[in-house]
Amino acid sequence: MSTVEETIEIAVPVRTAYDQWTQFECFPRFMTTVKRVEQIRPAVTLWIVGLGPLRREFATEIVDQVPDSHLTWRSLGQRHGHRGEVTFRPVEGERTSVTVRMSAGPRGLTGVLTAVPGAARRVLRRELAHFKAYIEGHGEASGAWRGTIRGGQVRPGEPEPPRSRVAGWPVG
Amino acid sequence: MKKPPRDEPRDDLTVTPPKTWAAGVPAVVHALEYSLAQTSPKETAVDLLTMNQVDGIDCPGCAWADPAPGHRHRNEYCENGAKHINDEATTRRITADFFRAHSVSDLAGRSDLWLNQQGRLTEPMVKRPGSDHYEPISWRDALDLLAGELKALDSPDEAVFYTSGRVSNEAAFVLQLFARAYGTNNLPDCSNMCHESSGFALHETLGTGKGTVSLDDLHHADLIFLVGQNPGTNHPRQLSALEQAKRNGARIVAVNPLPEAGLLRFKNPQKASGVIGQGVRIADRFLHIRPGGDLALFQALNRLLLEAEDARPGTVLDHAFIRDCTSGFEEFAEHARQVSWDDVVATTGLTREEIERVRDEVLRSKRVIVCWAMGITQHKHGVPTIREIVNFLLLRGNLGRAGAGACPVRGHSNVQGDRTMGIWEQMPDSFLDALRDEFGFDPPRAHGLDSVNSIKAMREGRIKVFLGVAGNFVRAAPDSAVTEAAMRSCRLTAHVSTKLNGSHTVCGRTALILPTLGRTERDQQAGGEQFVTVENSMSEVHTSRGRLKPASPLLLSEVAILCRLARRTLGTGPGNVPWEEFEADYSAIRDRISRIVPGLHDFNRRVARPGGIRLPNPVNEGVYRTATKKAMFTRNTWRTPDVPGGHLLLQTLRSHDQWNTIPYTLNDRYRGIHGSRRVVMVNPEDLSALSLSEGDRVDVVGVWHDDTERRAEGFTVVPYPTARGSAAAYYPETQVLVPLDSVADISNQPTSKGILVRLERVTP
Repeated sequence: MSTVEETIEIAVPVRTAYDQWTQFECFPRFMTTVKRVEQIRPAVTLWIVGLGPLRREFATEIVDQVPDSHLTWRSLGQRHGHRGEVTFRPVEGERTSVTVRMSAGPRGLTGVLTAVPGAARRVLRRELAHFKAYIEGHGEASGAWRGTIRGGQVRPGEPEPPRSRVAGWPVG
Repeated sequence: MKKPPRDEPRDDLTVTPPKTWAAGVPAVVHALEYSLAQTSPKETAVDLLTMNQVDGIDCPGCAWADPAPGHRHRNEYCENGAKHINDEATTRRITADFFRAHSVSDLAGRSDLWLNQQGRLTEPMVKRPGSDHYEPISWRDALDLLAGELKALDSPDEAVFYTSGRVSNEAAFVLQLFARAYGTNNLPDCSNMCHESSGFALHETLGTGKGTVSLDDLHHADLIFLVGQNPGTNHPRQLSALEQAKRNGARIVAVNPLPEAGLLRFKNPQKASGVIGQGVRIADRFLHIRPGGDLALFQALNRLLLEAEDARPGTVLDHAFIRDCTSGFEEFAEHARQVSWDDVVATTGLTREEIERVRDEVLRSKRVIVCWAMGITQHKHGVPTIREIVNFLLLRGNLGRAGAGACPVRGHSNVQGDRTMGIWEQMPDSFLDALRDEFGFDPPRAHGLDSVNSIKAMREGRIKVFLGVAGNFVRAAPDSAVTEAAMRSCRLTAHVSTKLNGSHTVCGRTALILPTLGRTERDQQAGGEQFVTVENSMSEVHTSRGRLKPASPLLLSEVAILCRLARRTLGTGPGNVPWEEFEADYSAIRDRISRIVPGLHDFNRRVARPGGIRLPNPVNEGVYRTATKKAMFTRNTWRTPDVPGGHLLLQTLRSHDQWNTIPYTLNDRYRGIHGSRRVVMVNPEDLSALSLSEGDRVDVVGVWHDDTERRAEGFTVVPYPTARGSAAAYYPETQVLVPLDSVADISNQPTSKGILVRLERVTP
């Protein structure tokens, strides 16, 4: 498994940077390799990524997520196996240092990328720059999910998401 | 297209060895053969190529989820779905001449197979008091008659409004709204007889009555249990998901009293490996369990997991999850540790070693899903069994996580959606308050009648009017003789139907047949062409749009029938329900639904997107709306079924060539039964013990603690690898043996999978 890591400093507070990162379905608006994201539920997302003529689709599970701190994920299934972590560290002057670390096996798009010296790093650096430009340009996050995930499960303690005034009922 | 049969098919049994694999080329051949016998090649093609496609027709067959848009096959259906949809799209027609030629008494003597084969209903019919014939009636007069009877009742609670899972979300919402505006919560539905136990058990322990998994979860599970279900016949498209899971490395444990073909191997007819190859093995382990032994099995597994944790502390249970997200662990653990192996072995018919090998599978797996169906729910201990399955999942944190969870597999395409729309006799006050605020009337608060209690109330003369929207209530209900007498005691019975079935032949004093559009047909209303929405077993709500010309210009949609009935019955009140607007444009109904039903906000816009709306499941968001606000461990007790010598535990089941209560032929290809449905399948060793042999003619006699003799006559004995001590026979022929009072604890669901019987030899 090969690993790439990139860090970028962003001129927004850590909460803003983190909140924007939780809006995965927005990623195609500013990232060029991310073509589509569907959030199935808080811990599961479906991704279509592409580079040139290549297209790959995979599901990921968020394994751990702590607001304003970090988020780790892993791909589901064996074909495009990779895992990653993004950490958010406050920096003096209402700025945030964002570090993404990704590891991939030899197969799949990320595997191909990591097999080419420097390619994965260049893509990652470019996409982080896109993220920086987006959130700095807006100055505020387009949404937020402030839940906590541990071991792939959303944990209690966060306020329940706003719902209908109607309670649930058994479904036979 | 072949003409409808004039005579009943000849009963001529032949038996071949049971199949050890499902689908493959024969599935394609049989599907096309049946479809082309019913309708034209062109209509067959239109149906099949739009079936389960985005913006196409949702298969009315089962509630299995469709793959995501962009991942569907060009032919996204199974053998049984293809048969079912073309059974509806048939070009055969029933007209007034048919009813002139056949009296109700004549029709009552016909099988549901024969009745169904006669074709589509085309105009409203009435059977008047004292008459033995249905005769044509205009829609105006038919609805006036029904509305008049409803208005004449002493109390709205003297009517019941039954729903089957074919009914769309829009029609279901309108039906419950009408019933409640009329003044009753008497809303029995087919859920009462299929997955009611699942709803109660999951709601109590997890705070949601719905399954927690999606197709993606199945694809990424490490271990899948298939418990008390037969995917090859009842949800064949599940096999594709299981095939995918196996390709991703999953293991499968099947638990069932019969080694069904679909549990063993699947040859996917859309792949070369399924056409000319061996296909994929489904079950890596098959547990040949006795009917009703599943609670004992899961409790034993839970004991083994607790003991494994004792042996290697910190390596087996998900302590953080148990601590943070669950309640009742200590009490549960103390109880589970006391389960007796002697009792487990006696109840399950399994050896301790078999169960320990499954434990080892569990310990090797990080992500576990348990799927189940009516082999679990239709037992006296159905609710506690599912609660014990929840215990099993909770122990290792297999809930609310990708690739893990609870998967009740539902049988009818919108059975889950109908309940989401409020078809339930016990809806909570919060829902009724929302109806009140939206429509300006106060719905009744007293709980209504479910299916079993409706029959009891009819029997006691407390119900005068029965309206069934879709389905075949008389055949689906237990204790056939009791149910039939109950229906006949009604002043009026009315059915909204596409085809003729047994329920039309077991009438009240007056009876109405209200013919309706099928899923396959274009639905043109004043507001333009309409679509409807449905919810699958995995909580995805999506559209269904018919493509074919309606079977008759006199057909009305279910929504139209109900809205017109509501206007006639209720006049201008109560409240301010715009029935005319609802009939003209179903998006007006969806607008109202979006303000009342959780998760369906902005319904019209969101459901128009490819794939529709995925309703959130609170469990997957770490929210448990239970009494303790956490996932609840429970203590569940059971008794080994008391099966005296000379008796068997009977489960009723469908054949492969059957959809719900309607058989298409007398064959059951996978089980090797051909040319007859009046067979009872018994383990060869039990046959020896009972001094019976293959081909013997028997009556199957139910044993129940009342004075009523329940007898299913003239069955042929077939040796079959059923679990020892058990027997199997086809539904609905054996519904006569299911006592009305034999119900699952808590859910009141008939126990059609656990009926004590004896076989009485009949001298030819």
